[in-house]
Amino acid sequence: MANEAVIRTKKLSKHYKGVQALESLDLEVTRNSIFGFLGPNGAGKTTTIKLLLGLVRPTSGSAEVFGHDIVGDTIDVRRRIGYLPQEPRYYEHMTARQTLRFTARFFYEGPRPAIEERINDTLELVGLADKADRPVRGFSSGERQRLGIGQAQVNDPDLLILDEPAASLDPMGRRDVLEVMERLRERATVFYSTHILDDVERVSDTVAILNRGELLAKAPIQELLVGSDGVAYSIEIKGDTADAKNRLSSQPWVAEVRVTPESGRSRWLVRVTDAEAAESRLLRLLLADELCTVTAFNRRKYELEEVFMNLVEENGNGR
Amino acid sequence: MAVSATLRAATGRGPLVGFGNMVDKEYGSWWRTRRALIHNILWLCVINGILFLIGVEEGRGNPYNALDSLIQVFFQVGGLFATVGIVVSTQSSILGERQLGTAEWVLSKPVTREAFVLSKLLVNGLSFMFLAVAIPSTVFFLQTLLHTYLQPKPGPFLVGLALHAEVLVFYLVLTLALGTFLRSRGSISGAAIGLLFAGLILPNFFPWLLEFTPFGLQSFAAQLARERSIPVWAWQPILLTALWTVLLLLVALWRFDREEF
Repeated sequence: MANEAVIRTKKLSKHYKGVQALESLDLEVTRNSIFGFLGPNGAGKTTTIKLLLGLVRPTSGSAEVFGHDIVGDTIDVRRRIGYLPQEPRYYEHMTARQTLRFTARFFYEGPRPAIEERINDTLELVGLADKADRPVRGFSSGERQRLGIGQAQVNDPDLLILDEPAASLDPMGRRDVLEVMERLRERATVFYSTHILDDVERVSDTVAILNRGELLAKAPIQELLVGSDGVAYSIEIKGDTADAKNRLSSQPWVAEVRVTPESGRSRWLVRVTDAEAAESRLLRLLLADELCTVTAFNRRKYELEEVFMNLVEENGNGR
Repeated sequence: MAVSATLRAATGRGPLVGFGNMVDKEYGSWWRTRRALIHNILWLCVINGILFLIGVEEGRGNPYNALDSLIQVFFQVGGLFATVGIVVSTQSSILGERQLGTAEWVLSKPVTREAFVLSKLLVNGLSFMFLAVAIPSTVFFLQTLLHTYLQPKPGPFLVGLALHAEVLVFYLVLTLALGTFLRSRGSISGAAIGLLFAGLILPNFFPWLLEFTPFGLQSFAAQLARERSIPVWAWQPILLTALWTVLLLLVALWRFDREEF
């Protein structure tokens, strides 16, 4: 049940006049995950979200959300989704409370007191209780985004879709959004697009990287951060390292030893083919050499930004 | 959906899912803002204001002739200004929501596109009829009493109003339909009002147009309200206008269903 796919796309494609916005996307998002959807501007993130919501129609391919077809059963799909658009727009004459009431009534038939209670709870949650009865037209962009988060979760959705949720927020607003996402993880699946990589590293458990409408990578975030070129160690050594390098290079599980000399020390990048052998023997081999001193030893972990940039640049930039 | 014990999830099916909520929203945009009040004042000034000025003059002559003139002017003024008014006041009803992004937001909720369009037709139509037809008509009855000590016969007058309403609904649906196709307010109102004025001019050169279009209906409305007969063939444009209205509505629904946000 935990690994059940909430979103499943099969060769989902969208073509606009002269532009392939999305190319044959195959994606699975499992229940209760926080799924980060990354890509440069124009990569196809928003198009994917709009396809899932029935706001645009696929040119080819198909997709299901909770087993419902996104074209034929779009109302059933939307009944289980909370959605925050990239630039939330509301009816300016409505107050925050009226906006949430309007939203809630699409999902609930009643009773009225219970709906009002849900609205009050949501206003508290997003910090708009004191502005609940002011028209939206006077709201700042941060308040609009908070209202957006409120309306996206007023129906207690099984799937929350957020399109660049933190893009227009100050650091505190961003923190609040991430907290809401983490809180919702227990009972909902969160699918969000962003280009703020720090946020992705902080809250996501699975990441997909999209560029020019094509899926470049999809993996749990820890797996992605290991990098695509296998396990590697970053080592800093002082002293005479010639023997140590020869000894290491002769090991069958060492694929490459790359040495970069620096003033009084050298920086090594050791790529290995057997992670277990490296874990138990690599440091021991280096420490056994009395002519050199190991000052730093780390299993190399990529920054998400590095992974992202490498993938996008390999594929050609988004434009 | 994780619905709490007391909340009852909406389970409706069919093409009108979300219609009630959309109607309430549209109703609110008229009646929970100053929009209705502004329209009320505007139409009283435009329709009844003009009739007051005319009534002062006409009231000095034969009261039956004066009443007849006032009814005719009521339908002429109401016909022209209210038709322009319904186009102007609803030209951005769909286009505005497409451009501002509210349509995208609303349609990400469980609501059908049919409900979105039909709620606008229903509420805009009823609100406008009430403010620009029903209230001015009621006031008109008082005005005629004031100026002529007579009142129009309610039956014929209501039949005339029904034809007047048919024309307004035609132009309302036309405006909504144009809003699903066009990308600027100017082109929507230009096309709709252009058709209205074409209807005033073209029948002079091509009289047969009156048999197939709503162009002559305002004139028939005035004649019926004044207890005059209308041409035998008049049933044809009356029925055809209803048909054009239904077809335009279907076109609007078809086009909006294909809109991408």
